[in-house]
Amino acid sequence: MQLTYLEAIRQGIWEEMDRDPSVFCLGEDIGIYGGAFKVTDGFIDRFGPERVIDTPIAESAIVGAAFGASLTGMRPVAEFQFMDFIGCAFNQISNMVAKTHYLWGAPAPLVLRGPSGGYVHGGPFHSQNPEMWFVHNPGLKVICPATPYDAKGLIKAAIRDNNPCIFFEHKYLYRRIKEEVPTQDYVVPIGKARVAREGRDLSIITYAAMVHTALEAAEVLKNDGIDLEIIDLRTVSPLDREAIAETVKKTNKVIILHEHSRTGGLAGEIAAIINEEAFDDLDGPIVRIAGLDSAIPFSPPQELHYLPKMEDVVREARRLKAY
Amino acid sequence: MANKKIKSKPSSNGNHPRNGSARANSKASSNRNRRTYSIPDYRLEHPDFTVRQRVEKSRDGGEHVRYEVEGDLDTPVPPIRDSKYLDKKQCIEIYRWMLLNRKMEVALENLYKQGKVVGGVYFGLGQEACSCASAYGLDEDDWFAPMIRNQGSLLVRGFRASDTMMQYMAKADSPTKGRDGTSHFGDIEKRNMVSPISMLGDLIPVLSGVALGARLQGRNLAVMTYIGDGGQSTGVTYEGINFAAVQNLGLVLFVESNLWAYSTPSEMQYRCKDLAERAIGYGIPGVIVDGTDACQVYDAAREAVDRAHRGEGPTLIEAKMMRMKGHAIHDAASYVPKAMFDFWKKRDPIARFENYLVKEKKWLTAKENQALIAEVERIIEEEREIAVNSPMPKPESAEGGVFCEDGCHEIKPKYGMPKVRKSAGAYQQTEAAVHLQ
Repeated sequence: MQLTYLEAIRQGIWEEMDRDPSVFCLGEDIGIYGGAFKVTDGFIDRFGPERVIDTPIAESAIVGAAFGASLTGMRPVAEFQFMDFIGCAFNQISNMVAKTHYLWGAPAPLVLRGPSGGYVHGGPFHSQNPEMWFVHNPGLKVICPATPYDAKGLIKAAIRDNNPCIFFEHKYLYRRIKEEVPTQDYVVPIGKARVAREGRDLSIITYAAMVHTALEAAEVLKNDGIDLEIIDLRTVSPLDREAIAETVKKTNKVIILHEHSRTGGLAGEIAAIINEEAFDDLDGPIVRIAGLDSAIPFSPPQELHYLPKMEDVVREARRLKAY
Repeated sequence: MANKKIKSKPSSNGNHPRNGSARANSKASSNRNRRTYSIPDYRLEHPDFTVRQRVEKSRDGGEHVRYEVEGDLDTPVPPIRDSKYLDKKQCIEIYRWMLLNRKMEVALENLYKQGKVVGGVYFGLGQEACSCASAYGLDEDDWFAPMIRNQGSLLVRGFRASDTMMQYMAKADSPTKGRDGTSHFGDIEKRNMVSPISMLGDLIPVLSGVALGARLQGRNLAVMTYIGDGGQSTGVTYEGINFAAVQNLGLVLFVESNLWAYSTPSEMQYRCKDLAERAIGYGIPGVIVDGTDACQVYDAAREAVDRAHRGEGPTLIEAKMMRMKGHAIHDAASYVPKAMFDFWKKRDPIARFENYLVKEKKWLTAKENQALIAEVERIIEEEREIAVNSPMPKPESAEGGVFCEDGCHEIKPKYGMPKVRKSAGAYQQTEAAVHLQ
């Protein structure tokens, strides 16, 4: 079945709710309205208001209630209308949910999901990629899919996982990409990267919408005779160290590409992993392409200036190839 | 098109008619411009005093800001209000838990002075009636989560004094195996306790979520937790109570008005007269009890728990008392006006309850009382021995357990699989409206 990225997520949650009565959804405007982006459209009619709960605008209460329900063996899926708002629930996630298994041995099988990312002119409070707030937070799994196939397989894996999973959907991809998704049940393992494009000259390590930016750049660079390998991390915590090391050992040159701000960003962590796992295999400096160290601005020309672009990847790849 | 009669029924989830806490005065309904609400107050006295900051001049001409108390602090101690529900045996049981609570904390203070405690010790001195009689009101299947001063609640719910002692000593056999201290531990299997965290108010939505999870599994459980007059200032307190109210969940929230939040008096935390008034704003019942009177605390807890079991939603119970030590053992509480300590010392919950049981009710003879106290002291000594003899954890035990790995826990609904809708609709793709395309 050809599915958009959004429809794949919707179908994944739907199938899990169908399969397992302990799965339920809660969030703002997810019921009759079906969610701000319509991920849960039609759910309330199919599964009932008991399992598709419209909540007050209270992110700490949403996360707290999801966590409490998970302690009774339920598998809640809580929606953030925009992932920018996850900051409102930060204490509940960081201090309550993430530490619970380590400190007192209680599993918290819950999913916190919602749209993130730029390129849609959402402005500083509707375009962020706040995944790093949680990567530096042991006890959480952080998932950022790039394709409909992975989005469906990973949301299902997250719902079945016995740990708190934060699932960042990229809103730019919601309705822009479509692909064939199997109708039979499948999951994509959490913590495993994939090779989005095989190549021999240099590697782009990235995830989410930036995978598509890298793929576009690869087409341009093909004409220059530069053959890009693209690694789609799919999960940013825990990171797939093996896949990172493997691509470096193959191409010996690496660009790390992400939307969020450069300082303290994921590229720094990946560069450290490369130092630890494949330092001797490097034939050039590790290059970072990332968002600016500022808030993400609203006006389209400014937003585009802030965000990484295909042209940035092409330029940096040419420079690194020539190194 | 002809009007079709549509079969409809109210959702069992949230979406309840507003009930204005069912406390609006019906007599006032004739005057629509003015509504009055009332909050039941079960206390037999109504202490009336205020704490203020005042600038004092010292002899050398320097200025110092101090707290002073104004009001009548010489009122007589009221009697214990007879419980509507508790019998003799139950009263003695609660009294015994209160004694255990206090003697355990005395033992902890001694362990601290002997250098055996890692970090500080927190006390519930003066609050034992509130901790013990509230938890005593829960049924076995109900859930609870204590705050730092509710170490008595843990005992009532079946944890041992040695559990808490080992937590304070960071021992290998402590419930968290050294990973956290104080009353920060839990048990989701047998004793239905959620571990607290140090940040205040976050337990309120969590406990509400426990009730939500249980309701999806067909059970109306009572979920009890506590918040102080300081902690209730947090935003998550509002979010949690409001969530429970909107979803009609069986939250039993004890607001422990113990007058001091670390060094800040309640006058600097909120402006309303009593925190129970907040209940009006949430549209839920609120009551006031004397937190040093075990019978009042129990009765309010029992009624709130019964409401929760009937699926009638949350209750806010404000228990008035005073924290009779500093914030923790390092804090001498020198900022508290002495007259306040004197006033509340006369209202010591254990001395009052002892007097009630021995002298007023004559349910305990002096000899039986002495035997009970001796038994509690013996238990605490045994528990202390267990705790002291537990080894410290091995350094490498800091590792592991961050995630629930395969086979670590089997997760399934605790009270049975939730019922699902039979009115199945097949999956349909939608062409939904687009936000921010």
